[in-house]
Amino acid sequence: MLTLLILLPFISALGIFLPVSKKFILKLFIAVSFCHGLIVALFWMQRPPVEFNGFLVLDPLGLILLSIVSFLFLSVSVFMIGYFKHEPRSNRLLTVCLLCLLSTMTLVAVSYHFGLLWVSIEATTLFSAPLISYHRNQQSLQATWRYLLVCSVGIALGLMGTFFLAIAAHDVHTLLLPAILKGSSSLSLNWMKLSIIFFIVGYGCKMGLAPTHSWKPDAYGQATGMVGVIMAGALTQCSFLALLRIAQVCNKAGLTEFYSSILIVSGMLSLLVPALFILGEKSIKRAFAYSSIENMGLLVLGLGLGAVGLFGALFHMINNALAKSVMFLTAGSIAQKYGSSRADEVKGIIHIYPLTGILLVAAFLAGTGMFPFATFHSELLILNAAITSRHYCLAAGGVVCLGVMFIGVAKIVLGVVHGKPREPLLAKKENTSMNAAILLAVVLLVGLGLWMPIGLEKMINNAVKLIGAV
Amino acid sequence: MLIFSHWIIVFLLAPLFVGVIAKVKAFFAGKKGPSLFQPFFDLQRLFQKDSVYSRTTTWVFRAVPIICLAAVLLLALLVPLGPFKAPLQFTGDIFLAASILGLARFFMIIAALDTGYSFEGMGASREAFFSCLCEMILFMNFITLSLAQHSISLSSMIGGNLPLSWKLWGTVLILVVGSFFILILAENARIPIDDPDTHLELTMIHEVKILDHSGVDLGFLLYASAIKLFVFAGILIPIILPIEPVNKVMDMLIFLGGMLAVSIAVGIVESTTARLRLNRVNHLLLIAFALGFFGFVVKMWKG
Amino acid sequence: MTSWVDVICITVVFLSLIILSNYRVAAMIRIFAIQSFVLGLLPFFLHAFCISNRDVILGVVTMVLKAVLVPSILFWAIRHVSMRSEVKPIIGLSASIILGAMIIAGAFWVSLSLKLPGKPASDLILPCSLSTVLLGFMIMVTRTRAVTQVLGYLIMENGIFLFAVSLFDVMPVLIEMGILLDIFVAVFIMAIVVNHINEEFEKNPASVTFSKMGETF
Repeated sequence: MLTLLILLPFISALGIFLPVSKKFILKLFIAVSFCHGLIVALFWMQRPPVEFNGFLVLDPLGLILLSIVSFLFLSVSVFMIGYFKHEPRSNRLLTVCLLCLLSTMTLVAVSYHFGLLWVSIEATTLFSAPLISYHRNQQSLQATWRYLLVCSVGIALGLMGTFFLAIAAHDVHTLLLPAILKGSSSLSLNWMKLSIIFFIVGYGCKMGLAPTHSWKPDAYGQATGMVGVIMAGALTQCSFLALLRIAQVCNKAGLTEFYSSILIVSGMLSLLVPALFILGEKSIKRAFAYSSIENMGLLVLGLGLGAVGLFGALFHMINNALAKSVMFLTAGSIAQKYGSSRADEVKGIIHIYPLTGILLVAAFLAGTGMFPFATFHSELLILNAAITSRHYCLAAGGVVCLGVMFIGVAKIVLGVVHGKPREPLLAKKENTSMNAAILLAVVLLVGLGLWMPIGLEKMINNAVKLIGAV
Repeated sequence: MLIFSHWIIVFLLAPLFVGVIAKVKAFFAGKKGPSLFQPFFDLQRLFQKDSVYSRTTTWVFRAVPIICLAAVLLLALLVPLGPFKAPLQFTGDIFLAASILGLARFFMIIAALDTGYSFEGMGASREAFFSCLCEMILFMNFITLSLAQHSISLSSMIGGNLPLSWKLWGTVLILVVGSFFILILAENARIPIDDPDTHLELTMIHEVKILDHSGVDLGFLLYASAIKLFVFAGILIPIILPIEPVNKVMDMLIFLGGMLAVSIAVGIVESTTARLRLNRVNHLLLIAFALGFFGFVVKMWKG
Repeated sequence: MTSWVDVICITVVFLSLIILSNYRVAAMIRIFAIQSFVLGLLPFFLHAFCISNRDVILGVVTMVLKAVLVPSILFWAIRHVSMRSEVKPIIGLSASIILGAMIIAGAFWVSLSLKLPGKPASDLILPCSLSTVLLGFMIMVTRTRAVTQVLGYLIMENGIFLFAVSLFDVMPVLIEMGILLDIFVAVFIMAIVVNHINEEFEKNPASVTFSKMGETF
């Protein structure tokens, strides 16, 4: 079943290389996303069996990520219907890369071997790079280059971390997760520590954690909205899964303290840095990219704090994905209408496209974690964890950074929403399917904010138990 | 007695060594090349001539050829040549070797400045710069070797029980040999660093400094540089081909074979590479230094 | 056999140092090809006299991918560039070499406190791979041209590979192949981007963005 789920998008991606029409490609993409979503929904009822001698396993952690990925592709596919009505360019390369990305991200979610995990995460980097340079111009080329280089190097460090882990687990003789967890008492702690550092630096690079975040504003600023959603919502969280997996090992091996101290530092840094840079920002997408860095910081902080924070982090994974889908899809829709997402070129959306304007405000509120949206709850949980574990300064600093972030994003978004409107360049009308995709995410986000389904809570609790933090 | 036999070998073989290199170069250029004994004929010709001195020069200029020849002859005494043990050996003689080289270099530079000719001054400044790096390389290699052999006497550093060392310190010795080979090319102004046949003042290093010397003086200087090359090769060979004392004839043959190999290697390098641009020379020297340093690091690592 | 592994290790480090001190892009790529070839020999010397299938596959695939295909792709990416084009490093070549030597010493020093479990084929593997990774990183950071950054990345990967080969039976062959393939595809995509950058730069030589990264003069 898992193999099928991985192969399905990949085979259909191969099918697109045949000379088929633009319409067919679009339909195929929608069909694949729906099938993928359907299968993943079935997995919530019953978990699929282990495949390939334990290399492919779907556990609660993987299921959460897989559902996020599947949902994002679903909403992107709906959005795409509207997007390609007005897009003269071919969607072939874009769709091929997206489908391959879906396939590799599914592999990330289900791989239970650290080597396989690395291979699949590196593959996601490779398939996402061509997506950034969709608008073949100088800035996008440069953004692609920076993304490719920084992430490849980061991932290479992750590979070193994987090998160090292999040395630490020398007595276990394999990198399969259950085997390592079982033999955690025989792990060599020094090598384990080295491996943890490389893991965090490497996969943190891919997540866009603070010192290595430089590619993020460029890449998200240049990518189209749909790609932005996939990258900010799914791709970064795939790397977060790698950190969660190593956290499993650390908690078993008794290195929780070491691991969490690094995570807390890098999490705080990722909260601080975007707060410093956001105030000078001019473009909506770039502002949202900084918001993404900040959210990654929150995730890592939650993981580092453990306990309630861990629950918050896992919940935030879902909320962040939904919020990012609202944010980047709205930004993409605006960018298509105006041909730009820079604040000085886009003004007064609410007067021309009322619904899009409202959605943009919703996106801003969701992204910065305001009340009716579920992001508020998960951020609160993480801050709560900081307070209960007596990290008062952390909590205070976090709140200040989030506040600055709120002001920074508000400045740009409100300026775009209000103000004297300019004539839009492309379609005059609102687009139903684009708005439907965004609205779906908004509704879900508000729904999760008001009521937590029991099934979801159970699943997250299972995942927390799996990580085994105290 | 030992001293004289040493000097005789050096006097006889050094110009021959230069002749072999010239022959190899000629072979690669597709020519027949001059006789192996051509350097002897050249020297003989020079010794028959009178020296001409510029009016601006002083006694320093005249003394330098003798000092240079004396210095390299002293250096030769510190180096074992095949079956002939070094007549002069004591703890710490590597420092004497290095300072003899420095002394000769100092007087060469002084003499070049003494002529008051701008090109010679340029050559002198280049020599001063590059020899700075060369000395670094020399000492780096000496340090590594002395650590491997637990001795700071040249003869026991490169002689002694080096045969065993290749098994133990193979990797270290490869690095040392590589570094030292570049050093030989640099110290003796061979091709990637300097072209011994060039007559373009702008790019010369070694040749430009002896432009004003003539006759017997020039002969002395040429002899000195041939001996220097020979002595350096003599240091390299025991590192590559550690001679186990079996019998004198065998040792001598191995030594001569090694000399031949080194001269052929130098000839091949000279014919296959182009002369480096002057501002790239220091990169090559630094690489040699890094190589020596790497050897030192590996030596320390291996314990 | 150990001594051959030693020789390969120091050759790899030495070649990275040479690449670091080189100033011509074409020469750098060629030396990289030699380095990869030498690395490809490593699996054959690892286990004394019993060369397993895994060693053969690993060695041959490495040689084909890294010593043949990758260099030719890189040459393709810079095909418009004059062979004499030079690297413009942020720090001078002489300083780079000295820094490189220091990095090597540092890597050895760090390795002193790390002990490989089991019985590794050679004790030089760990420090040498660390130094190669660091040298590759340095090449990437100090050279501004796009293609030299790719080379730096590749040298880093070579360093990691040196390390990985010595760890047998932990990674299944299939996953190791996956790693090699991933790196190859990465270089392929990078080469395409480098190509686009160069073309973009040719179209618009005055562009500030690409004058640093482009290869053409």
